[in-house]
Amino acid sequence: MNIVVIGLSHHTSPVELRERFAFADAKIPGALTLLRASGIASEAVILSTCNRVEIYTATSLEPAQAFVELKKFLKTAHAFENPLGEEIYALAEPQSLHHLFKVASGLDSMVLGETEILGQLKTAYKIAHEHKHTGARLNKAFQRAFNVAKQIRTETSIQRGSVSVASVAVELAEKIFSSLAEREVLVIGAGEMSEKTARALLSRGAKSIIVANRSHERAQILAKEFGGRAVQFDGWAAEFEKIDIAISSTSAPHHILDRAKLEPLMKARKNRPLLLIDIAVPRDIAPEVNFLENVYLYNIDDLQSIAADYLKQRKEEIVRCEAIIAEKVRPLVEIKSVQPRMDTNGHGLKTASIKP
Amino acid sequence: MSWFTDRHFFLIAVALYGFGALYLVFLWRKGFRTDDRASYFLLLTAFALHTIAMFKRGFNFKECPVNNLYEATTFIAWTIVAAYLVIGLLPRLRFLGAFASPVLFAMGVFALMPALDPPHALHPNFSNGLTSLHAALIFLAIGAFGLSAVAALMFLTEEHNLKFHKLRAIFSMLPPIQRLERVMNSLLLAGIVLLTAGLAFSPLLLKQKFGVYFKNDPLLDYAIFIWLFYIGLLVARRWFGQGGRRFAWSTVGSFAFILLTFWGFLLLSPIHHP
Repeated sequence: MNIVVIGLSHHTSPVELRERFAFADAKIPGALTLLRASGIASEAVILSTCNRVEIYTATSLEPAQAFVELKKFLKTAHAFENPLGEEIYALAEPQSLHHLFKVASGLDSMVLGETEILGQLKTAYKIAHEHKHTGARLNKAFQRAFNVAKQIRTETSIQRGSVSVASVAVELAEKIFSSLAEREVLVIGAGEMSEKTARALLSRGAKSIIVANRSHERAQILAKEFGGRAVQFDGWAAEFEKIDIAISSTSAPHHILDRAKLEPLMKARKNRPLLLIDIAVPRDIAPEVNFLENVYLYNIDDLQSIAADYLKQRKEEIVRCEAIIAEKVRPLVEIKSVQPRMDTNGHGLKTASIKP
Repeated sequence: MSWFTDRHFFLIAVALYGFGALYLVFLWRKGFRTDDRASYFLLLTAFALHTIAMFKRGFNFKECPVNNLYEATTFIAWTIVAAYLVIGLLPRLRFLGAFASPVLFAMGVFALMPALDPPHALHPNFSNGLTSLHAALIFLAIGAFGLSAVAALMFLTEEHNLKFHKLRAIFSMLPPIQRLERVMNSLLLAGIVLLTAGLAFSPLLLKQKFGVYFKNDPLLDYAIFIWLFYIGLLVARRWFGQGGRRFAWSTVGSFAFILLTFWGFLLLSPIHHP
């Protein structure tokens, strides 16, 4: 019995196509029953997320034939009649197992190393398992995939660090403050990025959000959404005595906060640490405020550069992750010889193998 | 094994502190990204040997082993390790160990200099329980100040990384700077309490020995100065908001001052060296 996978992902197809092939959670058990009843697969798991739709099967068919049948099934299930080419990929062992392990570990994700996919894969497997659509082969393969994902998470830095500006800001806050639970956040200028950053801080336990915006109405809407309060735009400086983190993203053409303005405010704060996140362009906060004691200023370039460094480090970890995966795939592969990679019409052989 | 004296045990412990210091260099180069269990277990092993060394000395002479500079130094180093091993149970504060190792190594090498450990006199300096308690409390206080300086070093490292936007500021496993500041503060407070308790015995001991409650003595004046200085540090922090970098530098500087001057005042003191 061979494990084969067929699917579409963000690597091969646009969202317009992926959404055509997406399976709603409620429809997955029915689709699995149909698939097994058709005789194509003895065991099957369907993974359907915003970035990928994949069918993992254990089948007694020859891989070439299985690919043709699975592609036909996929098109029929979604009443899709247009021709499909490179948008769909099909893999047989050992590449199919290698792919499954990569997906579980977040190595095939749009955001390299993200962990959400592991949860989605576990859910997909659980649905198939609960409806008795999995057997010895897929059970073993998926369990191993979950273990490999865990091993990769603990032994490598692939999931370490933040690769978005908002989460880098949260990490910085966590390196300054003992806990975010008692922290008050001031948002000056209600832009999309500042909103995301404030939301990220709130999700990590920040106590409250104060919003100051030129349009007070917009400030009120946002404050209500965050469960915080809105203040007049001219009054934001008065809040500095209480707050711990300020996120600034106004469209002001000049600095709205400089050293002369901040220095007396810091005295009033009794020099408690203050994290300033300036995501405005042109910048809202004069860079020399960073020379003040207990003030930590980060602008958009600083945050993006940290996020880029993190991503670079994650990419450097790929080789280690691949080595772990190759080692774990080996015992699972029934046929040791290298399997050909085929197109989904069952012909046109391409040899793409993993090196043991 | 009679040739294997307490000093040999202490020598091995110092070597382990040295390994801990080398490990700090490795962690530093790695940007403090790896867990620091290795340094914890290194210090735990060193602590066991250090304790054996002190016990052996104590049992041999049937007194608390704080009679000369060697013993005083080993005692202070021992209190620093003991306090660290308790604090290091919290994984978030385990990095103190890596930073403590170089301090312990330096103290150990200093203590091992032969001139600091002359043969015991017929009548030891600290011959009764009250004297031993007085000395132990003061050395424990110095240990707490030492550990506070170690936390301050961590604070300064992390604060520098954050100020200059170094990636290792968030990639490292050092605790947040606010927590480090709190740790510094608590250890200083503990040190002051211990020093106060230790100094409180001084009038009683002076009365026993010299029949007076106060006697002008370089070490006593020095201890009062240190006591006032540390209280001043905490007052400045609490009432004048002198936290952060200045507080950390003051903590490191004041402990360095103690390390460099304590021995001199101890030797100058006629009360402690009659």
